[in-house]
Parts: sequence; C-alpha cells; structure tokens
Amino acid sequence: MKTCLKFLLKHYLRLITLMVLFVHRPTVVAIAGSVNKNFVKQEIKSRLERMGLDVRANPKNFNTEIGLPLAILDLPSGYNEYRKWIPVILGAPLKIFQRNFPKFLILSLGTSDEGDMGYLLSMLKPDISIVTDITQRYREGFSDMNNLVEEYHTLTNKTRKKGTLVLNSDNYRVREIAKDNKRKIIYFGFSELTDAMIKEVIKTPKGQKVIIKYKDKEREQEIQRFGKHHAYAFTIGFIVETELIKMLATKKTNT
Amino acid sequence: MKYTALTKTHMFERTKNINLSAIKQIELKASEYPDAISLAQGIPDFDTPEFIKRRVERALKRGVVAKYSLSPGLPELRELIEESLEEEGMYYDWEKEILVTAGSIEGITATVMAITNPGDEVIIPEPTYTSYREVLSLAGCKAVFVPLDEEKGWGFDIERFKKAITEKTRAIFYCNPNNPTGTIYTREQLLSLADLAEENDLFLISDEVYKDFIYDQDDFFSLAEIPKLRKRVIRIFSFSKAFAMTGWRVAYLHSDEENVREITKVHDSLVTCAPVISQYAAMGALEIGGEKVRIFRDEYKKRRDLICERVGALKDIFEFVQPDSAYYIFPKILPKVKEFFEKDTQILTGNGRIDSRKFAHWLLDQTQVATVPGVAFGPNGEGHIRMSFGRRKEDITEAFDRMNRLFNT
Repeated sequence: MKTCLKFLLKHYLRLITLMVLFVHRPTVVAIAGSVNKNFVKQEIKSRLERMGLDVRANPKNFNTEIGLPLAILDLPSGYNEYRKWIPVILGAPLKIFQRNFPKFLILSLGTSDEGDMGYLLSMLKPDISIVTDITQRYREGFSDMNNLVEEYHTLTNKTRKKGTLVLNSDNYRVREIAKDNKRKIIYFGFSELTDAMIKEVIKTPKGQKVIIKYKDKEREQEIQRFGKHHAYAFTIGFIVETELIKMLATKKTNT
Repeated sequence: MKYTALTKTHMFERTKNINLSAIKQIELKASEYPDAISLAQGIPDFDTPEFIKRRVERALKRGVVAKYSLSPGLPELRELIEESLEEEGMYYDWEKEILVTAGSIEGITATVMAITNPGDEVIIPEPTYTSYREVLSLAGCKAVFVPLDEEKGWGFDIERFKKAITEKTRAIFYCNPNNPTGTIYTREQLLSLADLAEENDLFLISDEVYKDFIYDQDDFFSLAEIPKLRKRVIRIFSFSKAFAMTGWRVAYLHSDEENVREITKVHDSLVTCAPVISQYAAMGALEIGGEKVRIFRDEYKKRRDLICERVGALKDIFEFVQPDSAYYIFPKILPKVKEFFEKDTQILTGNGRIDSRKFAHWLLDQTQVATVPGVAFGPNGEGHIRMSFGRRKEDITEAFDRMNRLFNT
C-alpha cells in the first residue's frame, strides 16, 4: 500500500514538475558529487542573490525523487503522515500558473542507488552542471565504483548541449566522465593544469584567504569558513557567476 | 602449579577513588522496589524517532555498519555536523575539526586525557554533572570546585574563578546549560570566563548537551562562536538528549584542528571509532530531526511547568530556582523536613545543610520515588536534590502525589 502510494506520488510530482519547468523555463544549475553539495549551493545562491537575481535552491535533503520536485515546486514534505500530503497534492498543479516563478534554480542532486540520476534528469535539463568530487561516500547502493561514476556520466550527458560542465580536476574519476563530451567544460582544482586554479589557501584567525587564478586573472578573497572544501565552493561559485553573466548577456543580445 | 592471589599493594591506584555515581546507586536501590518511580536518571522517556530508526534500517540492509569507520567518524556525518554548526553560527572544518565520539563522556575523557598532564588542575563550577570529577580522577588530575551562586540563579561569580586559578590550572570545564540546575550562563558571564582563560592561558571545555531544551528565551550563546577562541574552546554535543538516543552512544566535539588532532589520538586508542550503526542514526537525526526536537522541547516545557508547580506547592519542604533549560529541577531541602525524621537522626551536615544523601534514600524508602542527592553534583549541591522531568507527566504527578501524602500537604 505504502509502496504503491509512493510510486503514484513520485510520478505525479514528476509530471507536475515537467509542466512547471516547461511553462516557466528557468535556468537550472545542477550540483552533484559525493561531498560539498550544500556549501557549493549556498555559495552560488548567495552570489546570484547579490546580483539581484531571483533564485530558488532546494533545501538540504530535498534532492531525491520526491524531495527534488517538492523543492522545485516550493512545497513542503508530508513525510510519513498521509494527512499532510493532501494539501501538497492539491496545491501542486497551482504552481503551473504561479506568477513570479524564480528565473534561476540551484539544485543539488542526490544519488544513492543506480538510476537515481537518470530519474532526476528526466524532470529537468541543467544549463550548468557541477560535479564537486566523487568518493566512496554514499557508495553503499552501488555494486561497484564504476556504476556510481556512471551516474555522474549521465549528468554530463544530459546537460543542455549548449550548457557548461564545471568539474573537479583534482579527481581523476571526475576528469574521466567528460572525456568525449562536446560541451563546454571548465575544470577547477589545485592542479596547475586546471582552468580555475586554487593557488593558495591561507588560514587566518577568522577563516581563510583563498587565492584563485581564472583566465589569467588572480582573485583573492577572505572567507569566514575553514577547510579546503570552502575554497572549492568559493571557486565554483566564482565560475558559475561568471558563466551566468555571460549567458545573460547572450540572451539579452539575442532578444 | 600453585596459584596465589595478587598481593601488590599499588594495584587499582587509578580507580580506587572512583565511586559508582550516586545516580546509579539510587537507581540500584530503586530497582528493588516494585512500584518505584524514578526521577533520578537523566534520560528522556521518549523513544528514538521513527525516521532515525528507518535511516538505521536502511544502513543495516545495505551492509555498511559492520566495519569500522574512519576514527574521526563517517565523513558524511561530519559534513552534516558542520552544516548544523553553521546554522548556529559556528564555523568548523568537518575534515579536521570535528570528531564523532562514543557518547559525550568518551569525548570528554579523550579531551581531558589529551589536554592535561597528571597533577594538573581543572576548575569546575558546581553543582554540575557528576561524571566530570571521575574523568579527571582517571586522568590523574584534580577537580577544583568553584561554587555557583544560588542567590544569583546559580550563575557564575567570576571572582571565585580568579581565586581558584593556580599555576597548575589547565582548563575550566563547564556544562551549559547546566545539569542539574538548568541554568543558562549569560553571554557576559561566558565572555568574562573567556577573558580569564585568555589571561591565564587555559582551555575552556564546554559541554552543551542540553542546548536544545531552552524554554524561555530564543537565543543561546556559545563561546565556540567566537573565531578568536577556537584554539581555546573545545565544545561537546551529544545526540542522546536532543534526539532521545541515550542508548546509541553517539556525540561529537569540535575545536581548532590542532586540538582535535591530539584528542583524536586518545579517541582512537579508547574506542577506534564511535559505533558505526549509531553514526548512521546520527545522520538520520541531522537530516530531518529539527522538527522532532521542537516537539520534545515543547513537551519538556509543559513538564517543567508541571514540576515547578508541584515542587512550589511543597513550599515548607523545598525552595527552588526555576530551571530555564535541560530537564532537571534542583530544589533546596528546607529545615522543616527534620520534623519527619526521628529525633536522634543526624540529618544535618557540618555546614548546617540537610544531608541530601540521607534525605534521598529516606524519600525513596518512604515513597518509592527516586531522586538524586545534590551532593553528588559537588559540595555546593549538598542540601538539595535533583529531580528529572524527562519522565512522563503521569509519573511526575504520581511521584508528587506520594510526596504530598508523606508531607501531609
């Protein structure tokens, strides 16, 4: 009974989400990877908000088959209480006609079983896709590492043809997934051969100073966070901001 | 081969001064009474929430709980911890500055072992949690008690701390919100303690396991929020109380990477890693636990109001400071109770307070209600008893109905 209802709910929400995204056509930034998704999401969201853009990001853990459509539709979860799902189900179609639907969606995508990524991407087509890292974490649902990597391969293949892939060059598994991909690829990381290089991370009493080099220009920023994952998040945020500014400029020119 | 008993006189040096805690003693005695109601143990009566159990079931089914995790804990859990700390204005690197422990007491033990040497002194404001003293004793350190001021709602008097500092002092170790008084130390009090630690180059160990159960104010301040203090402050938090998970034995601590690196060495030698199954439970708690904590807190607030009303009604017997947090009340036992003892019973201690140990055992014998003698929480706790309102309302009501009958009120 419960499984059957979950199946129906899952496909109902997917259908509504497809319609909503078709009608409102937001720019989608997808974030995937074993680590650091939330911090990257926060970084991008706050940058876009500072630019005065209308942004929606999925809350923590709303990144799976049911959570993701709820986040896109800006609806709460009923969790395990049937009663709480009624207003959610009734309210979902109204989102198709919602005014002021955000122009940008920043979505982290979770994958804990084989095929999860494919299902999530049957709802949306990202304009920018980010793979933060691939590690052994959350690997328990996969028979081997290759199958987990295949999930991220699906993401790079289902990103819009004219979209951009932002990939971690410090991880050889991440580098591999985009080998024959024709999309624009921007690599980030600590290695010298990368597009956006993290040159230095210096710990300070209040956080850390991050120095990055992107397109021959150096940029230095003091961030009030500790750990190299925040240096990654800062770098990714910078790349995405730059790319979106370009995308917006192109759209303006075309119209 | 002839076997003989060990005769070495220096055996058990480390453990000879450690006693079974007064809480466990009274619990042991209460277990002999068929109708005992325990207001003694600090455990929530709630069961672990369902969503946490489901998270554990999933991990079990996927076969990921049978092996050790990394010594500091599962990376995915530590990242979730960093995210939850960030929501509270504390910024720590999950890779190097967060350590998942087997309950808070293991974290405390590892911390004390890492930052002290035998013979060091650690200042403890008291009354406070009983096991701190035992941990210090195990580490060969001396607990130096600084009395809290009951007249000031069990707050700090910084002058008393200043007087207690010697050249052997290594740390100040406090519980905030405090068990058993339910006091929340003010920002000013904590900052003055930080200044004192700075002047005297001391560590600050802050045990904040009750920080989710605050009843009459919205904000809670921790010294771990101040970046300048991150090398000095070691903050400990447990899933036990907030998520009704006392049996799972999982907690965490965080501090600057230098401190955590050293503490991890002790942690690794004590337990290798926190139980992996419990780490998955902790992940479940952090993923979707916030709403449940609010429900628990609202329920405890109702119970706090109930117990205050009932203790207040026994105004000839008890006098109390209303607890702002945690789930304990710590009333003073008034001299009137002497009337209920036989004339030749020695019920007063040397300093004229009611002997809390005798009182608690007598109360248990008379009413089968278990409470904890205040002296178990430090010398300044003498003359008080601790009652937990972590129990069901029905238990609290029944316990006080029995006390009312005993005291003829």
